[in-house]
Amino acid sequence: MRILNDIGLLFIGIGMLFFISGTIGLLRFPDIYTRLHAMTKADNVGLGLLVLGLSCQADSWQTVARLIFIWILVLIASSASCHLVARSALQKNIQPWSRP
Amino acid sequence: MITNYLAAHHLRLADLAGIAAVRFVIFSTVWFLLTGSEMKSWLVGIPAVFFAVGLSLYLSPPGCGKLSFVGGCFFIPFFLRQSFLSGIDVMRRTLSPQRLINPGLVSYTTTLPPGAPLIFFVNTISLLPGTLSADLQGNTVTIHTIDQDLPIWTNIQNLEGRIAVLFNQHEPKENNL
Repeated sequence: MRILNDIGLLFIGIGMLFFISGTIGLLRFPDIYTRLHAMTKADNVGLGLLVLGLSCQADSWQTVARLIFIWILVLIASSASCHLVARSALQKNIQPWSRP
Repeated sequence: MITNYLAAHHLRLADLAGIAAVRFVIFSTVWFLLTGSEMKSWLVGIPAVFFAVGLSLYLSPPGCGKLSFVGGCFFIPFFLRQSFLSGIDVMRRTLSPQRLINPGLVSYTTTLPPGAPLIFFVNTISLLPGTLSADLQGNTVTIHTIDQDLPIWTNIQNLEGRIAVLFNQHEPKENNL
């Protein structure tokens, strides 16, 4: 299963790129809302690819199921917390940045 | 207590037993996934599963949206594809030398019923390319978009239709412009 191992490594590498781009977005984007875009979306895809890569390297179906389960839980948690952060920002009257 | 519950949610005892059994199997599977084949873990697992079933019947009573299996089969590939695209989209915007963003707020009124379908809708919006759900008042969702030039309206309507199918909501969709 050498090839599967390498494919897994490739997925993990690509996943890391998504995490990095999410972090760059967090630093570069101008306001809380756009930063939330960067964090939630890039990290979900990053984690998805990480799970995919680790699944390629896993030694039992149970580990794979557990990894996918973790991904689903993180998806739910991150979309819900993203909504809550954005809502509380709106309620505090933080105006979204817009093109001048 | 059970009679009150049945009356409040218009259920028969047999229905409730069936629903509880399905949830029991689901939560047991989750426990099995988390703990593996260690038999002793069920000493904690069985009470935890019973507790989870009870809590889920309390927090999410039956009848607020039944998932359709076929709808799910269509929804999962759509969702995976869209979330991948949204990751690519964010990556493109963060890494480009110019500022490739043109954010704004949009309001959208949905015809999805409150409860599971609506919550699912609001949460999924945040994982689609370029949109983020920022508020929910009644059935009006405030959406923050990272680029106002994206076809937000079409995307959201598409998502709404797919979620209606996923939750077996078959009434014809009106354009709620």
